[in-house]
Amino acid sequence: MNHEKNIIELKNITVRFDGETVLDNLNLTIRDGEFVTLLGSSGCGKTTTLRIIAGFLEPDEGEVFFDSKNMNGVPAHKREVNTIFQRYALFPHYNVYDNVAYGLKVRHVPKDEIRERVMEMLRLVNLEGFAKRSVAKLSGGQQQRVAIARALVLKPKVLLLDEPLSALDAKLRKDMQVELRNIQQATGITFIFVTHDQEEALSMSDTVVVMNEGRVQQIGAPEDIYNEPQNAFVADFIGESNILDGIMKEDFTAQFSGHTFRCVDRGFAPGEAVDIVVRPEDVDIVKPEDGMLKGTVTSVTFLGVHYEIIVDIGGFKWMIQTTDYAGVGETVGLSIDPDAIHVMKKSKYSGLYGDYSTFSDEMEEMNQMSEELAEEYAEELAAERTEEAGDGAEEAGK
Amino acid sequence: MKKVLGNIFMAIIYFILYLPLIVMLIFSFNAGRSTSVFKGFSFKWYAELFTNSAEVGVPVRNTLILAVLSAVIATVIGTAAAVYIYYVRSKAWKNTLNTVTNIPMMNPDIVTGVSLMLLFVFVGRLVGALNSLNFFTLLIAHITFNIPYVILNVLPKLNQTDPHLAEAAQDLGSTPTEAFFRVVLPAIMSGVTSGFMMAFTLSLDDFVISYYTTGTDFQTLPLFVFNMVKKPVRPHIYALYSIIFLLVLVVLLFTNISGMKEKREKH
Amino acid sequence: MKNRTFLRRIIGAPYVLWAAIFIVIPLLIVVYYSFTGPDGSFTLDNMKNLSDYGQIFKISILYSIAATVISLILAYPFAYVMSRKKEKTQQIMMVLVMLPMWMSLLILTYSWMNILERQGIINTLLGKLGHAPLNLIGTPAAVIFGMVYNYIPYMILPIYSVMSKIDPSVLEAAEDLGSGSFSKLYRVILPLSMPGVVSGITMVFVPSVSTFYISQKLGDGKILLVGDVIERQIQAQNNYNMGAALSLVLMVLIVLSLALMKLFAGESDENLYV
Repeated sequence: MNHEKNIIELKNITVRFDGETVLDNLNLTIRDGEFVTLLGSSGCGKTTTLRIIAGFLEPDEGEVFFDSKNMNGVPAHKREVNTIFQRYALFPHYNVYDNVAYGLKVRHVPKDEIRERVMEMLRLVNLEGFAKRSVAKLSGGQQQRVAIARALVLKPKVLLLDEPLSALDAKLRKDMQVELRNIQQATGITFIFVTHDQEEALSMSDTVVVMNEGRVQQIGAPEDIYNEPQNAFVADFIGESNILDGIMKEDFTAQFSGHTFRCVDRGFAPGEAVDIVVRPEDVDIVKPEDGMLKGTVTSVTFLGVHYEIIVDIGGFKWMIQTTDYAGVGETVGLSIDPDAIHVMKKSKYSGLYGDYSTFSDEMEEMNQMSEELAEEYAEELAAERTEEAGDGAEEAGK
Repeated sequence: MKKVLGNIFMAIIYFILYLPLIVMLIFSFNAGRSTSVFKGFSFKWYAELFTNSAEVGVPVRNTLILAVLSAVIATVIGTAAAVYIYYVRSKAWKNTLNTVTNIPMMNPDIVTGVSLMLLFVFVGRLVGALNSLNFFTLLIAHITFNIPYVILNVLPKLNQTDPHLAEAAQDLGSTPTEAFFRVVLPAIMSGVTSGFMMAFTLSLDDFVISYYTTGTDFQTLPLFVFNMVKKPVRPHIYALYSIIFLLVLVVLLFTNISGMKEKREKH
Repeated sequence: MKNRTFLRRIIGAPYVLWAAIFIVIPLLIVVYYSFTGPDGSFTLDNMKNLSDYGQIFKISILYSIAATVISLILAYPFAYVMSRKKEKTQQIMMVLVMLPMWMSLLILTYSWMNILERQGIINTLLGKLGHAPLNLIGTPAAVIFGMVYNYIPYMILPIYSVMSKIDPSVLEAAEDLGSGSFSKLYRVILPLSMPGVVSGITMVFVPSVSTFYISQKLGDGKILLVGDVIERQIQAQNNYNMGAALSLVLMVLIVLSLALMKLFAGESDENLYV
């Protein structure tokens, strides 16, 4: 593996359906041997991107390069990438062995070699004893392993994973995250992983690509994405954030919430309006007289490792995660270190996020559930729509 | 008490459903010619069926040829059509296809038969043919009413399979054609088989549509029976249908037993 | 958006062509024949002559409605009782309902003719008891009975399949919420089985209103239905144009009644939360 080599390049990719843009001038470079995650919510275009790489979709505009070779017009079965599908798409009429052997058989690999490689693969995914088992009788996790074995046995240069963990329960999901990461490191194959789960993205990847509305919002290492979000969308999508309107007085000095703070950012025009992001765990609760800001606690939730405390300061509800307890109604001071203050240029996402005044645990939970459902549906819909555009035009011509 | 009433009610319905079958079975063994007065037990009508085999043999053979041919062709066209409809994304076009597919199923048989006959007569006049109805018009008619039932059986199977199955096969290196035959077709095979069986039996049984679309030179069993009753019914037809009944029963038992086995294996 | 689904489109071509030529065009030809004379020129004579058949249409519809209602009254409790049985029993019972359908309905109608005839089985038995023969065949009742017999499986089937899918816990919930047997039936089972009833009604009504062999065999030639007059115009009198006009009216009639049903079903969908 060669981390300096670009294995996949997407240049100015645009995909439209009925005038609706699914991917908007997308540029993406993926280095050899990386674990890259495309992260975003429903309809952000992450699955469409994956399908373009796999060859199931052709972009309206732009070019796809593998190893600097233009792949436009090359059909899926001639591309050296393999895909793990969301619901695995195992072949129901074959047993585990024949599923894994499928790609080798299609390539007319000698029988002995097929046997050897399939068994080796089954060992790798811990399914040695399951060769003759019908895939319908496997658990979700086992089916997942078969799908991985079926793809990896072909030694692809790139493995595409389309939300492969979304059908598993929470515990199994954690295990599979570790296992996938191990497999990726052991084989050195480039993984392109699609998910809407930010925790999954942060814990597994070398590089995270945050997408929204068909555009890349930020590309970077998980730490950079979390610590230095480029705009309010990324800040809100990755982790919890307090996002406030502020003004950059001068380099290293920002003003928000009626107070002037020292910070570590520079390069803004003096007096420029900016978005300020402060992570809830970066705020310390201190005595009112020691705090830079003062406010009243409006809610306290015990979450095991820490408390989640909402503090009202001038009408803005701050979310704070701390191990220190403060009672509801208490007046407390807030203290923020300079390096905990992230200053971002104003973007189209400014003002959309950040206040917790309507926040409640129950709502968050409900939103998460419906979001996951909507996500699955919308992704499929978006993919279908892009295909439909072709069909629709054709049918209209009839 | 309620249960007893329910059971009695069901027994009465079943009795009425099976009464004509019982009558048919009994009189197929009648020693006399009548189908109303039982003169004693005899196999003579069964014997006549086989000794005088040309009379019913030809319609039976015709019926089978027609059923096999029309079911095979309808299954091929219908399965392909179902796959096509499954992948159509344009809602309007899909609705149109579904509506047209429903027409032969919803239209009364007599209208389907008459409309096809008029088409054949119309085209026949255009080309100046004397006799526009023959075996081929009958075959076309049977294929036409069979295709929708094949689609009806295959489409739900397609909807049940993983939508990415064909893509998965292509992803692993199969051409689209190979992906269809190696992966998609096996996954929907049970629907294709039941579609074929349905088409086959519908074709065997059809009387009304055949009545309008066949020529004088090709008579199927239902047509033969219908025409025959202008003469008095003779017990040998009952004998013939008793044999058919037996065959249906055997097929049913066979499929049910194999179906149960399959179920057991799944558990 | 380009894609490569050429193959997918090609496989649909045979059916699209077939459906166009053998489903759509024949219907247009029916319309064409309805409005032309034997010489092929446009005429409204067939439409005018339709008024002669008003009585026959009326009888056909009335008999079919009667057959549909009787089928429903018998099939509904039948399907309900069946759906309460053990699963294995249900399967066997279902096969037993469909078995006569897999035989030829034509031959079974003959068998009924045999049973009901003036010299038929019933009258022979009655004669032995010294009873005068009854006029069974050739009556409206015989024709309606024939319709019910022929098509009642099509009523049982959809109602049963909907009922067997009703979650037993829904019924328990109804009991739990204080429903008695009657209110359980009326408020829970009936609304939930409505879609089955609707499709059952269409599946009995459509073939009944268009039948001709039932009325010929069990009506003993004395009762004429729409199907009979179409058959006569086409097979006996070679009047394709009048036959086409009658078929067209029959078709329109059925489409209208199906639309009515749909309207009714659509409303029940909203009201009853099915």
